[in-house]
Amino acid sequence: MAAPPVASASGWIGFRAPNGDDADAGAASTDLSNILDAVEAPIVVLQRDFTIAGFNKATTDELGLSPADVGRPSRDISRLAGLTSLESQCSEVMASGVEARTDFRDGDRWFVVRISPYANAESRVSGTVLTFANVTAFRASIDQVIYERECTKAILNAVPDPLVVLSADQRIHAGNRAFYSMFFELASLRTRLKGMLSGGRAFDPVEVDQVFPGEGRRRLILHAHPLASPNHPEPRVLLTFEDVTARKQAEAANDLRAIAERKDGLRRSEAFLAEAQRLSLTGSFSWRVSTDEITWSDELYRIFEFDPGMPVTLELIGTRVHPEDLPLLRAALERARDTGADFEHEHRLQMPDGSIKYLRMVAHGIRDEDGRLEYVGAIQDVTGPRLSEQALGKAQSELAHVARVSALSTLTASIAHEVNQPLSGIITNASTCLRMLAADPPDLDGARETARRAIRDGNRASEVIARVRTLFTKKEFATESVDLNGATREVAALLLGELQRNRVVLQLELPQSLPSVTGDRIQLQQVILNLVRNASDAMATVEDRPRRLLIRTEDEDGDRVRVTVRDTGVGVDPQNLTKLLDAFYTTKSEGMGIGLSVSRSIIERHHGRLWAEPNDGPGATFSFSIPVSQRA
Amino acid sequence: MTIPKPLLVSVVDDDESIREALPDLLRQFGFAAEAFASAEAFLASEFVSETSCLLLDVAMPGMSGPDLQQELTRRRQKIPIVFITAYGDASVLRRLLARGAVRCLVKPFSETALLDAVGAALT
Repeated sequence: MAAPPVASASGWIGFRAPNGDDADAGAASTDLSNILDAVEAPIVVLQRDFTIAGFNKATTDELGLSPADVGRPSRDISRLAGLTSLESQCSEVMASGVEARTDFRDGDRWFVVRISPYANAESRVSGTVLTFANVTAFRASIDQVIYERECTKAILNAVPDPLVVLSADQRIHAGNRAFYSMFFELASLRTRLKGMLSGGRAFDPVEVDQVFPGEGRRRLILHAHPLASPNHPEPRVLLTFEDVTARKQAEAANDLRAIAERKDGLRRSEAFLAEAQRLSLTGSFSWRVSTDEITWSDELYRIFEFDPGMPVTLELIGTRVHPEDLPLLRAALERARDTGADFEHEHRLQMPDGSIKYLRMVAHGIRDEDGRLEYVGAIQDVTGPRLSEQALGKAQSELAHVARVSALSTLTASIAHEVNQPLSGIITNASTCLRMLAADPPDLDGARETARRAIRDGNRASEVIARVRTLFTKKEFATESVDLNGATREVAALLLGELQRNRVVLQLELPQSLPSVTGDRIQLQQVILNLVRNASDAMATVEDRPRRLLIRTEDEDGDRVRVTVRDTGVGVDPQNLTKLLDAFYTTKSEGMGIGLSVSRSIIERHHGRLWAEPNDGPGATFSFSIPVSQRA
Repeated sequence: MTIPKPLLVSVVDDDESIREALPDLLRQFGFAAEAFASAEAFLASEFVSETSCLLLDVAMPGMSGPDLQQELTRRRQKIPIVFITAYGDASVLRRLLARGAVRCLVKPFSETALLDAVGAALT
């Protein structure tokens, strides 16, 4: 059946409804023809008997059908020969009324052909409509994607570490060869994975231990990388499994070696420390103040001559401490307990055989996070140094005495010689003079001459005396700004050991700030030292009360500074107070009078005053005050 | 009859006021007197053999009094020596006397003591 063309050769060809239904060749037909010709894809209408009923312009352009092909069986059209099962497919579509698709290759082009049923106005299927969609470019891109995927797969399969992509429901989407050959049991990670997959966030690497058949225990680190694509709503996660078994083993071996080395180092340094303690006769200790728990180093056991490992208590220590030193040690420990301050203390031990040891203790207070106080410190056996110090001190004081005596006698002899020469001249000349006057006749000229010589010699003698006086009084006097607090502290530090040995408790009361004075620092320190020594000496025989020594500095209305040294010693008789400061007056054999008188002259050269007062209680107080420096 | 020549008393002392004063007093006593500033000057003088008594200072720069005493002994010059010294150290005085000095006078000394010493030296 041939359908006559109703449009030009370039337009819709043979548009007649299949099976002879007449189409309205009016305006509607023209509109339809225009629309169909505007479609890019070829559209071919087949009759029920598979002959060509018509096609649009694109069919002519793309598939080369000509108007003469209308009415020809489709199987005769060579360009459509690739559609090998077209007729059976069309029959099926017409029978079922459901459209079908088939691929179609035309040279190097690819089409997807949609076969739709052609229904007329009464909904009767009277043919089919073939629509050709050109998918050549699409197929090429698909091929490219497949190729890229194969490349990626090859790469991933070459990676020795297992990789897997999971979906939100923990289904495996893809894995590399290593993953599939590992038989990894994801069950142990379900909970972790769930949280992570639902949040779509990365999680911190997880270390897992797992036993693998034939491989034994492996240690793996799992890293998760969320995979997000803006056009893909389903979250997925890439899991990578890093096998760190070998590395961990190496690290563990290193750690073991390091620990062994540390232990060895520790043992060595402990040995060094013990050796150092033995050599330096120094032991270390810790004292937990709240519980009185005491820990000692071996050397301390040796020093105290206790059996090693014996539990150390304050009571036990007390049994070794020299009875005379016990009260002071107790006082020092109580003070430490109260204040938590660092302290230094010297005391003696009385050993069971009666021998005496001198110990020097230095302790540093620390508090733990709960504020509990603990002292750590060192105790050194200073018996050797102390004994030689004492011997040296004795020798020194003897030497000083000898030197003083011999210096004095040398000086005296020298003065005597210098004075006796002119005295001798005076006496001889005077004798001669008398004899000359007594002669008959008197030798007046000679007498005058000898008298003149006597006067000359007298003058010479008086010059000698003047020279001696300048020798004694002429001393360099330095003027500098002196901080009496600092000067006092230095003296106290200098005398601390001596005072402790004399069982004197020294108390310093030095205000935070004190105006400075002008003068000779060394001379002022000599005065303080002299007063402190005197105070200590004044307490040497005191046994029935504490030997307390207070040094106080104070600001007297901003124009003078006063230094006070108060003791609890034997005190001074009020009647002797003034005489005490006079030169050469002394109540002791050691010559305290000279020291005080020199001290007073030093203070007076500083335009100050030195005085003594008896205490209300036992002892005496010596004070001096000097003007503060004038501000420039 | 010849007038007897006065006995020569020599004074050796480094102190000038002694050298001035002492000879004058000795002359008042009727002695001849010569003064020398050092032991060396005395030894070099012509008066060594004429000296009947030597008043000798102990401490002098150069040759000391005891040194001169020794030198005179070596020269067999037996001159009686009275030491005069400003140092009154008893042990030194004892040692000097033990070595043959007639007397030791400690400066300043009285004219009585001087006369007594010189007298002892001359007898």
